[in-house]
Amino acid sequence: MEKDPNKGYVALLGWSLNAVEAAETFNRRYVVVAPDWAEAYCKEHTIPYLLWNYERLNERSMEIAETLQEMGVDVAVPLFEETVEWAGAINSVLLDNPRLLGQAMLMRDKSLMKRRAQLGGIRVGIFEEASDRGDVIRFLKRVNQALLKLDGDPNDPIHFKAFDKAGCLGHRVIRTPDDVDAIPEEEFPALMESHLDGWEFAVEAWIYDRKIRFLNISEYVTLGYSVFVPATPELEQYRPRITAEIEKLIKAFDIDFGFVHPEYFVTSDGEMYFGEVAYRPPGFKVFELLERAYGFNAYQGLILCFDPKTTEEELDAFFPREVVDARGYAGSFGVYPRRRVVSRLEVPEETEGHPYFDYHELTTPLEEIVTKRTAFGTHWGLVYFYGENPYTMRDLLKRQEELDYYV
Amino acid sequence: MTTSISDMYGEESKLEGLLAKFDEATEILAAAADYAKPLKVRRVLDTARRVILQEGGCAALEERAEKFERAGVFLGSDWAVPQTLVSSLTTRAFASPDDETVVIEALSELRLLAVVMGRYVHSQVTIHQARRFLTRVLAVNLSLLFTSPSEAERETQGRLALVPRAVLRHLADRIGYENVIGNLIEEIWRILYQRPIQVDHIKRMVTQISICQANPDIDLGTSGQGSERLVSSLYGPTQASREDPGLEVYRQRLESMDTNTLQNEATGFARAMRDTGLVSPYHPVLVRFLLDKGDHLLSEAFGLSTTGRDCLLCYQQLVYALIEEAVHPSTAQAVYGLSLMLERGILFQPPVAPALWRQIGLPLSDWSEARLRFVFGDEATPRSRLLEGVLCMLGLPLGVGQGNNPTCQSARALSMWAYNDPDYLLQMVTWAARDDEIIMHFEGQPISSRESYAGVAKELPVDLDPVSLLVVPHLDRIYTEMGRRCADREGDPHRWINPEFHGWWTGRGFRINVDVATGVLQDLEAFIRHFYACYHPFYNGNQPLIHPQPAGIVVTDSAARFVGWHAITLMRVALDAQNVMRVYFYNPNDDSGQDWGDGVVVSTTGNGERFGEASLPFEQFASRLYIFHFDPLEGGEVAKVSRDELDRVIGLIHRSWGADRIPDLGLQAEAEGNGIHSGEIGE
Repeated sequence: MEKDPNKGYVALLGWSLNAVEAAETFNRRYVVVAPDWAEAYCKEHTIPYLLWNYERLNERSMEIAETLQEMGVDVAVPLFEETVEWAGAINSVLLDNPRLLGQAMLMRDKSLMKRRAQLGGIRVGIFEEASDRGDVIRFLKRVNQALLKLDGDPNDPIHFKAFDKAGCLGHRVIRTPDDVDAIPEEEFPALMESHLDGWEFAVEAWIYDRKIRFLNISEYVTLGYSVFVPATPELEQYRPRITAEIEKLIKAFDIDFGFVHPEYFVTSDGEMYFGEVAYRPPGFKVFELLERAYGFNAYQGLILCFDPKTTEEELDAFFPREVVDARGYAGSFGVYPRRRVVSRLEVPEETEGHPYFDYHELTTPLEEIVTKRTAFGTHWGLVYFYGENPYTMRDLLKRQEELDYYV
Repeated sequence: MTTSISDMYGEESKLEGLLAKFDEATEILAAAADYAKPLKVRRVLDTARRVILQEGGCAALEERAEKFERAGVFLGSDWAVPQTLVSSLTTRAFASPDDETVVIEALSELRLLAVVMGRYVHSQVTIHQARRFLTRVLAVNLSLLFTSPSEAERETQGRLALVPRAVLRHLADRIGYENVIGNLIEEIWRILYQRPIQVDHIKRMVTQISICQANPDIDLGTSGQGSERLVSSLYGPTQASREDPGLEVYRQRLESMDTNTLQNEATGFARAMRDTGLVSPYHPVLVRFLLDKGDHLLSEAFGLSTTGRDCLLCYQQLVYALIEEAVHPSTAQAVYGLSLMLERGILFQPPVAPALWRQIGLPLSDWSEARLRFVFGDEATPRSRLLEGVLCMLGLPLGVGQGNNPTCQSARALSMWAYNDPDYLLQMVTWAARDDEIIMHFEGQPISSRESYAGVAKELPVDLDPVSLLVVPHLDRIYTEMGRRCADREGDPHRWINPEFHGWWTGRGFRINVDVATGVLQDLEAFIRHFYACYHPFYNGNQPLIHPQPAGIVVTDSAARFVGWHAITLMRVALDAQNVMRVYFYNPNDDSGQDWGDGVVVSTTGNGERFGEASLPFEQFASRLYIFHFDPLEGGEVAKVSRDELDRVIGLIHRSWGADRIPDLGLQAEAEGNGIHSGEIGE
């Protein structure tokens, strides 16, 4: 697409073909900053590319920021959890705003972000940091004592999340000391939270000039399995309260622009609890689902909200009206093999025959023995659905959990 | 709620709904830039899979063929270049457990069908080419057309197995069965001329044909010419078996025959077997019946010449024991193997007969028994099955095939030993089948197949003859271990591996024309000259090749593009009937008749080939060669190869696999004497 030289020039941190395609067909100039394995593909297809191998932030971090600055890049957009702190570091140079690095570090540390939210007057569950297994056992006991459980009563679970992993990776539910033993060493330090019985959902909010420009509520049918957009009217009824929560978040985290992807709980009494927040596109291909439901490209929205040269008119023209402009409901389901030994992939007939079924991205199994699932978030691929009725969608996604895709 | 919704959709509107999805997915794919197409193609393929399974789905996709091809469904895959597709590979694609592979193959066929039907003018294939290709596809997949999925298919493919069937049925409806059968017969004869050891799949195809012919619902038209010999050689090659009476009835008929009639039966079987390489299950019944009727009739039943008959008479007890143990209706091919082994006269080599006695009484390890049963079933005992395999390998050394496994080196070694060193082969079989271990030596150090790590093949093979089935996994591990021990040496490891692995007769001299590190051509001219000097009778003092020699060739596809490095055996170099100097070689691939592009078409019959040999004119062969061995003490006349001849060979290389391996000429001009030209001075 024809590039507008008066608009911003963005750097995409990390390799995502969907993001590249969005940038290519948008009027902003862009460059992909990705590890060396992406080089050949970029060269072959003349995709603007800058080599960078992301490791921990170190003394060379300045180098990439300066290189981008010399190229005339205005802003860096993180595409993955691992590049969030890089974007913060780079943008603090490009936008001459040192606060951005600190903000990014907050977003990368699940414990710090919780404390920050608490300081901003946002309601959070009970949480604590763990640096070893002893801490986890202690927390598990204390939480259950607080719930007035007797010895021998089944424990209420706690949640365990590695500090710096994206989404469901490293997220475990701990019920017994045996579960604690199963945590690998490298997942410490970690955040522990009490379990809230409630309805968990995620929000995607595009922010520009400290204002929400588009707010989507993603309904989880079951955490770690499935999500669909827009949400059912039951969840959408909380939209005004959710909007207020996001505004608190913007204040607490001092967010001027960009995109946030927080998770919340609504308990049965309607109380809203903050779970965590990420400063990058969500998993389960929610961006793609949004495009399917609304017809706008969420990645382009991302670029728009990062670009300092974006105008109000552009924002107004770009984003649709929430819920009312959606043409239908789009959902995705992450498939986990349910059997211990599988030999092939076979999409269940009832799923395939359903008019909502779009297509799947599941892979043929390479090994017959399924490794035992230890944490959330290692699905074998996604299945996509699309249709007109949110309840049909919800029931359909729920039903998938009982079906064998791998037999 | 979910079920009621799907119930609302009738069959017809279901197809319509799917087609709407397919069209949308195709449009999205078409609109995407090349680099983003991989993201979009999945949706097209998955929807296509469901469309195909609907009644009328194939026809709907045929109509959309031009659209989906232009959208880029085939982009970046082999299917994007339809003129180079190989019909015999469709069998494998259709059997793949990967749904994308199956569906893309299916879409490719439907696209070619659209070309045949004249609704799609394709820039790369003509109507004629497309029709020819599709009839071949139907022919090689004939069994899918008439059978429901087998247990094995169900296991690996599930409902996916219905996709190829739906497409093939649609093809057959459009093209007609007549062409199918005709082509299939041609194909069978072409394979049979190569006399493979494994003929089970051919027997299955012949059975398919006879079933089609017997089915009044299938109109074969005038096709099926030439099938009589195939069908009759299996189901009724003689007077008394003509109407396929069943084994027991046939045996009873033998009881009441006089010598003359028995003689006719014997000759009938022998002729059918010699013509086709296929053995009818009735044949073993006769052979076993003749065991106490004298050697003359037995020799007739085997179709022996004087050499074979001498062998039979000299080793009568051994031959009888072999028949007792190995020749049954379920192991019918043993008759052919035994017959050819006798004809080769190898029993006259002192160690072979006692080694066969050992083989007859060989106790098999539990593992070996289990493997044989797993692959070949319980129709014959594992020991008979293995003995049948041994006889066939000794009778048809060039009929060894590697199956769908990357173990060309091991297949080549087995074939070479069967041909050149049969008692060594029998030793290997014994170690593998009885002891589950083979120990070979590499530069004085023992290598045990048991202690070595995994070989080239990731999984245990299942598509091999009985001998290969047991021995190849051991050889493969040893071969890989030898490679590991050469890992830190410069250059290609086959320099050291080949002589140690295959046998002392492998020349210790070694030449290669690519630089191992860079893959760039090196010393090309000197390499070619040297090859001529070693192997071409006009340049080596008219010395025929003495021992089979391992060599490395570069396989190219029908568009002359590089496919891979491959192990073959040089058998002989000789003038053919047209006075063309040809290289005759053994290719462990199951089908040697391959089109390597740029006019290089490997011949398997009609140019003086013996059974199992492949051949090419010397120049063409030299252009696909990259490794050969030689005896460093024997020199030929390197200088005599003419410029013209060299240029032709080099041209063939540069136009095919060497195209992107030509050393940088700019550099060469600066530093003269480096690179390919320095080689000439060296020679």
